[in-house]
Amino acid sequence: MAPKPHIEVENLEVSFGAVPAVRGVSFTVTHGEQLTLLGPSGCGKTTTLRAIAGLEKPVAGEIRIDGAPIYSAARNINVPAEKRGLSMVFQSYAIWPHMSVFDNVAYGLRVRREEAAAIRNKVIQALALVQMQAFADRRASQLSGGQQQRVALARAFVFQPSVLLFDEPLSNLDAKLRADMRIELRDLQHRLGITSIYVTHDLEEALAMSDHIVVMRDGLVEQTGTPDDIYRLPRSAFVADFIGSANLVHGRNRRDLATHGLLALETPGGQVIYGNAYGRSAGDELTVSVRTVHLQISPQRPAGERNVWPARVEKTVFQGDFTQVHILWGDQRLIARCAALDPLPAGQEVFISVDPKRVVLLGA
Amino acid sequence: MERHARAVSAAASSTESVSAQKIAGYGVATVAAVLVLYPVFYLLQAALDVGDPQTRPPTAYGLDNFEALLNYPQIMLNTLSVSFAATLMALVIGFIMAWILTRTNVPGRLVFEQLMAVPYYLTPLLGALAWSMLGSPESGFLNQFWRALGGSGHVIDINTPYGIAWVMALFEGSVAFVMIGAVMKSMDPALEEASQVIGASRLRTMLRVTLPLVIPGVLGAAIFVFAEMLGSFAVALVLGTPNRYYVITTAIYQLIQQYPPRIQVAAAMGTSLFAVMFVMLFIYRRIVTAGSYVTITGKAFRPRVADVGRLRHLLFCVCVLYLVVSVVLPIATLLYASVQKIAVAFPAADNFTLDNFRAAMSMNAAGSALTNSLILAFATATIGIALMGLLAWLIYRSRLPGAGLIEYVVMFPQAVPRLVFAFGMMWAWLAFPIPIYGTLWLLLIAYLTVFLPLGVRTIAGVMLQVDKSLDECAQMCGASWMFRMRTISIPLLVPGLVAAWLLLFIASVRELGASILLMGPHSKVITPSIVESWFGTASELTATLALIQTFVVAAAVAVLVVVTRRVSTHVVN
Repeated sequence: MAPKPHIEVENLEVSFGAVPAVRGVSFTVTHGEQLTLLGPSGCGKTTTLRAIAGLEKPVAGEIRIDGAPIYSAARNINVPAEKRGLSMVFQSYAIWPHMSVFDNVAYGLRVRREEAAAIRNKVIQALALVQMQAFADRRASQLSGGQQQRVALARAFVFQPSVLLFDEPLSNLDAKLRADMRIELRDLQHRLGITSIYVTHDLEEALAMSDHIVVMRDGLVEQTGTPDDIYRLPRSAFVADFIGSANLVHGRNRRDLATHGLLALETPGGQVIYGNAYGRSAGDELTVSVRTVHLQISPQRPAGERNVWPARVEKTVFQGDFTQVHILWGDQRLIARCAALDPLPAGQEVFISVDPKRVVLLGA
Repeated sequence: MERHARAVSAAASSTESVSAQKIAGYGVATVAAVLVLYPVFYLLQAALDVGDPQTRPPTAYGLDNFEALLNYPQIMLNTLSVSFAATLMALVIGFIMAWILTRTNVPGRLVFEQLMAVPYYLTPLLGALAWSMLGSPESGFLNQFWRALGGSGHVIDINTPYGIAWVMALFEGSVAFVMIGAVMKSMDPALEEASQVIGASRLRTMLRVTLPLVIPGVLGAAIFVFAEMLGSFAVALVLGTPNRYYVITTAIYQLIQQYPPRIQVAAAMGTSLFAVMFVMLFIYRRIVTAGSYVTITGKAFRPRVADVGRLRHLLFCVCVLYLVVSVVLPIATLLYASVQKIAVAFPAADNFTLDNFRAAMSMNAAGSALTNSLILAFATATIGIALMGLLAWLIYRSRLPGAGLIEYVVMFPQAVPRLVFAFGMMWAWLAFPIPIYGTLWLLLIAYLTVFLPLGVRTIAGVMLQVDKSLDECAQMCGASWMFRMRTISIPLLVPGLVAAWLLLFIASVRELGASILLMGPHSKVITPSIVESWFGTASELTATLALIQTFVVAAAVAVLVVVTRRVSTHVVN
């Protein structure tokens, strides 16, 4: 049985004046799932999130929560943000500077007119969950960025909203803290079992935290899938390049050479590369994607007949955890990322190889 | 299921709360539009009225009044030459002070920067009165000193076009300073450093990098200041009219006050003036908003301060000199005159008196004028922040359609000299069925109208500082509009609103241009009363009245400074 959808977004369109920001976006989120909207800045991911929150008014489409529309252009429904029963963590944290940490967190409960004793308990619990119980009486202006982040989080879930929305909540933290918070957020989300939609432009964050990812570009959905799907089987050149880094190879479809369920592509330079269509339909002209980490470099010819070519090292760039090798392959340049490598002098002749499984056909 | 039901019932009530906001918004916008446009309509009607001046509404329309303006070439020439000279001097003052205080290591830089606001609060009227006592050819203190030192005749004559321009420039100089200083501060020092690193000398850097970057900002300031000079009234009234030297604003005042009044020509004159100012302020806004020059990035840089060596002592003296001639000397003069029986340059024991203060406080007219002014200022500020706060929210935050248009209407009084605006108002409210002409009510309406730009801009500045997500976050926590206003928006805005209240209060107490036309015999206010006293009674008493007014303003400014200090320490996200 398919899990019941919690949030459904259907053909959503949002414009700012005459400028379209979101141009027909659809996806669903099931109960307890974490979905990430991922894309470069200006792709419409934040606008989509704000439309779900009720902070932007769409121009077309429908948004449903548990089957009930909270926005519907056709039926002229637009439930105001404060009545949607959602909650949100803002990029700027939006900690109210005129209130203490306790009052910040208690706000949503006070709005709901809960008993003072109940408020006290829940706030203390929530602060404990984000390890901020010692700071309850502090003023917001006396907190560091990471601490404000935790308070914003506690404030967002303390009143048990049905959905949590995150608008790039980690983007203002430094790299180390961001990595820690990523894991903490994921744990917390699992513990609370809360449905959440998360917006980010950070690939690692999206891969590490999500059950599903929606990759967006120019106000449209580019691809939807699990992190693994999206990383392994990018559907377009954009996704292949945005999710990690990839070499794109264009060429003719040589159906006559195809064997073992593999497809064969011949580059304009005459190189033949075998790859996998993964059920996608192949036309006469093909583009395949090869992740830079999947390209192997060896000084001697490796075993195997397919997808092994001689090539020349153009230059290498040391980047710490890996070395980026620029390779001349016929008249094309490829990039390989190799871990722990003996120094390769520029100009050295090498062999490159790639498993045909790792050569993925991109959709038209 | 339960949530489902809640969402559906919420959908029904959502239309309600949105329309409540809309009604409040458009209601306030309508009030503002009526306040601004109703008098403008009557001003234009009077300017185009070529029928019998005694009958209203007009019996015939035409452009004859504008043609009649050609009979006053001298006034136009006076206006242009005084404004031009004053603008030039104000810019020189502003530029030099801005350069010294933002770009050099002059001692006491930060203190001077604070003090530069003081001339602005003193008002040009006070400056004109004081400088008249200092520099009139016969009785001026400076000329008395000159003769005592053996000179003959007079060393300065303040009752000349240059004198008028000088006093105007002294006080507008602090406005020019703020504008040019802002440009200099927003210039990325890396731009200059890049030039020096490449090997350009300091002079070359100044000429080829600094100046071209600053010039658009200075040009903007020049246009703004010139427009202000065209509409300025108090200085020319005090220093020019005794010699029958008129500029356009004093001429309008004269045409309305004389018998028989020449309302229609005055209206045409006022319309022309406001048309010119409107165009100039439009150009100014275009220059400022075009932002084609790199200096305005919206980011404040820490300007690179040049070590000027021993020159800094000289520059220090320049700063002190400016504050002496614009603040210390005028205040000292008025203080000195206020405790004398007859204002003369040299102190004498038998000339000392406190009678002026006694007279000022006991004088019925002056006493009630001060009371009226305080009542009015209180009412204007209080009603003003409610009205202007709603308008600022409407224009910058509500996203209701038509907000841009409302902004234009609200900012409109900026382009109209207050005297001209008050003239339209006088004409408008004379025709109004409820008899408020000659009462404090009319003055209240006038103040609320002419201070719309000041109030809305001040409150909007505070409002825009408060990050929008603070309100949105409360919304996401489920708080209704009213609840958010009470718990988030208003508490965050209170320090800013208090500052806006004080600014409106100060502006009301010092208001002259609108009040002088609109006050009636039973609704006198302080600033026009000072002018009346100047022309009607003794200068010693006038000095006393001016000092009392200054004292009230100074007290309000002191509170303002304390409040704004608190705002800046209270970190707003």
